[in-house]
Amino acid sequence: MDYRERWELKEYLSEQRLSRRVLLLQVLVSTLLVGYLAVFWHLQITGAEEYRALAENNRLRRIPIPPTRGVVLDRNGAVLASTRPALNLVLVREGLVDAEGQLRRLTEVLGIPYDELAQRLVAMRSRPTFEPLVIREDVGVAEIAKVEARREWFPAVEIEETSLRDYPDGPAVAHVVGYVGEVTESQLAAQAQEAGLQQGDVVGKAGVERAYDDRLRGRRGWKLVTVNAVGRPFGDAEVGRVPEDGSSLRLTIDARLQRKLVEAMGEEVGAGIFMDPRTGEVLALASTPGYDPNVFAGRVPAAVWQSLLKDPKRPLHDRAIGSFYAPGSTFKILMSVAGLESGSIGPGSRVFCTGSAVIYGRPFLCWKKGGHGSVDVHQALVHSCNVFYYLLGRDMGIDAITKYGAMFHYGRTTGIDLPGETRAVLPSVEWKKKVRNEPWYAGDTISVSIGQGLLAVTPVQMATMVSGIATGSVPTPHLSREGDFPPEKLAVRPETLAVVRAALADVVEEGTGRRAQLPGISVAGKTGTAQVFKKSAGIDADKLAKEERDHAWFVGYAPAENPEIAFAVVIEHGGHGGTTAAPVVRQVLEVFFEARLPKAPDPRLQAAATTRPGGTDAAAPLAR
Amino acid sequence: MLRRRWLGRLDVATLWTTLALAAAGLLAIASATHGDPARAGLWKTQLLWLMVGLVVLAVVVAVDYHLWAEFAYALYGVSVVLLLAVLLFGKEVGGNKSWLDLGPVAFQPSELAKWTTCLALGAYLADRVRGALRLSQAATMGLIAGLPVALIARQPDMGTALTFVPIFCAALLLGGLRWRWVVGAAILAALLAPLGWQRLKPYQQERIRTVFQPERDPSGVGYQIRQSKIAIGSGGLVGKGPFEGTQSGLNFLPAQHTDFVLAVLAEELGFIGVAAILGLFHFLLWRGILAARSSQDRLGTYLSLLVVSWLLGQIAINVGMVLGLLPTIGVPLPLLSYGGTALLAVMSGIGIVMNVRTRRFVN
Repeated sequence: MDYRERWELKEYLSEQRLSRRVLLLQVLVSTLLVGYLAVFWHLQITGAEEYRALAENNRLRRIPIPPTRGVVLDRNGAVLASTRPALNLVLVREGLVDAEGQLRRLTEVLGIPYDELAQRLVAMRSRPTFEPLVIREDVGVAEIAKVEARREWFPAVEIEETSLRDYPDGPAVAHVVGYVGEVTESQLAAQAQEAGLQQGDVVGKAGVERAYDDRLRGRRGWKLVTVNAVGRPFGDAEVGRVPEDGSSLRLTIDARLQRKLVEAMGEEVGAGIFMDPRTGEVLALASTPGYDPNVFAGRVPAAVWQSLLKDPKRPLHDRAIGSFYAPGSTFKILMSVAGLESGSIGPGSRVFCTGSAVIYGRPFLCWKKGGHGSVDVHQALVHSCNVFYYLLGRDMGIDAITKYGAMFHYGRTTGIDLPGETRAVLPSVEWKKKVRNEPWYAGDTISVSIGQGLLAVTPVQMATMVSGIATGSVPTPHLSREGDFPPEKLAVRPETLAVVRAALADVVEEGTGRRAQLPGISVAGKTGTAQVFKKSAGIDADKLAKEERDHAWFVGYAPAENPEIAFAVVIEHGGHGGTTAAPVVRQVLEVFFEARLPKAPDPRLQAAATTRPGGTDAAAPLAR
Repeated sequence: MLRRRWLGRLDVATLWTTLALAAAGLLAIASATHGDPARAGLWKTQLLWLMVGLVVLAVVVAVDYHLWAEFAYALYGVSVVLLLAVLLFGKEVGGNKSWLDLGPVAFQPSELAKWTTCLALGAYLADRVRGALRLSQAATMGLIAGLPVALIARQPDMGTALTFVPIFCAALLLGGLRWRWVVGAAILAALLAPLGWQRLKPYQQERIRTVFQPERDPSGVGYQIRQSKIAIGSGGLVGKGPFEGTQSGLNFLPAQHTDFVLAVLAEELGFIGVAAILGLFHFLLWRGILAARSSQDRLGTYLSLLVVSWLLGQIAINVGMVLGLLPTIGVPLPLLSYGGTALLAVMSGIGIVMNVRTRRFVN
């Protein structure tokens, strides 16, 4: 082929045409490149700021820096809750080779079921690979040693530093301090904007951890971290805001009393609350069974959660403020006040008890088969005579009972600074109409007169009520030493209170509360049994199966002549208050009055006194 | 004596332009991969390819283009055979069977086919066409261009197949196809477009839709375009400096050392850098047109212009894609994108242009 066809030999026309078309190509080249350059100009010069910001947003992530949660202290400065450093064993998933082999060896060395580990690894699949899988939280030296000794087996296992909430007293403070956990979706939805909560924040879930969450939590800081397209952080972070650690919280709780109370409750199910009747400062508060708040510090194993949630005894529920019981005979304290104040009876009014009384054509029994004989209000209260109060109730009527009950804060929350307080029930004609849509029957009043029937109270309400009797003012129970909780003066005549106080002192001296006696300290109190089953009336508690027994109450204060401590203890199915609840009170009071009691032979008390760091002399007045 | 004569007339300007662009490519590849240990050495590989490319270019320039044209059909045949081989024994990378595995290196016959198709079309035009192009001749050229396109589409590598279209269109234009046919074909294409749309795979349709609505799919195709625009825009006037690009350094950019290499340069060297790159391309293409205009015969004119059209087509598609004006299809930027065979092919093409320019005087 001969391609060498010179242009000068070509026809003029075709050359013209080609030349025009080459020019067209030239124009196309220039137009296109200049046009593209204009688009670059538009992006890089006009839009520079906007795109620079977008690139920064791409590049920078705000990583929250969690604040350190505030410390919770007891009234003497003993630590009830703090944050401690902890170590986690983690599996680095980036560049993970032979995951199965490592998991199998971990199972071998640490005894974590292989299936569980494998499952967790699968669950992490949706997360970026630089997030490690936590194999075990809060490991000890022994476990680290197990892994470190076989380092070559575990190329991908590392140790990660973290921090955990720590409760040195564990179960003893469960229902006072509560526990913490990661914020839930619903909480986020409810208060996200206001409280500034974010996914992953640790918040209080119960107790003062929850009640004072805002101040304990502190304020999250943040740092700017450069991340790549998959979100992996690079290089150094730039702190944008230093986190503000939570403030510490000082409680009115006395850790020694708290421990003693929980210990004294032992295996019993129930609740107890001890407070300073003059101020409302709660010294000890327990609900049993409890739980160990330390369990919630890390990741809660599902099995543990289930066992806590499914336990019929509801260990997570705070009975001291959240459960209500019939007050039983303890209500006779209020009945006496109401009777004397309303003028239905005087201090000298007498009733003859034969062991039963027929009211509205129905027999109502006294607990004492032979009857109490002739009793005035003092004796009726000391010996807990039902007949006296049946008749008083009949004479007074429900409206008077409701009026004086309300005066002592029954039927409403006491205002204690804990989440989950219930109002319980102070029945009235209106209440029954509204709630049950039934009329009030005269018989209802008779039941309420001895603390049964429709009436229901919480332990904290009981403690508040006896504090009122002890001091003449109804205090607001509280656990925080800060804040203003002024007591409310009672509109009750001193003479009335004097009659009731004298009787309460005699209850312990010679009546049903003898088991609460302390040498040298006069305790005032009242026992009560709250009926669980109708059939328990008049039957000896010991003969009944545990779950059929009545709930046992013991409420009161000490010392009788100058009250410094008030209390309410309820033992579910405890039978008689005198036998089960009163001894619990006595043990706690022993610790409270330790210095004023004759030298106790009990070496344990000695030990408790000397090994308490930061403990002060219990004899010191509990001034705020 | 003879050698001295053409060496003295060697088109040095074009050579330097080529080297400058390749160097910018090396910089961009190095920057785009420096954060990734697995790919950090790629620029060295590319540098080796560039060395080889210079040797190939020397060979292409040294042999008179008339001789290349003599062998055009043979070379074309070889590349078609290689395209068949790739379909049979090719190595699949990312869903495309485009590579022949030659031990240490992988070879992309489709890149070679661009060069041989230019040769074949140029030879055909110079040899057969007198005056205006007849329809039968246009059809023959359609076959010459269509055969590699069909084979490449089977890989399936739509991006590379698409780059043959500008070459073919240029051949028709140079052949002197009457404008009425051009207009007619354009109308026919417009009418057939809906059918072609239906033939496209869903993901390809998605890519085309994304051009018009980048916000459609911020994580998929739209994401790529968006990240590319962020990289370009955030470069500003002078850029963030070499190796300082956050978009590429942190892997936000897709295919940042291959198809989106210009976005890396735009981010790091800014508008000034981009203007320099586009300026160099402009100069290169103009040199090609100059070679065509000053060629001593038709063949030189045709070959130069076909190469110019090929490069222009690839530049237009790639830059348009990087700017988010065109659908995302894998078309590398000549001389800059990472890829050995593509570099060799483009340098061979430039070799032809230099060849024509160097031999513009009748001896």
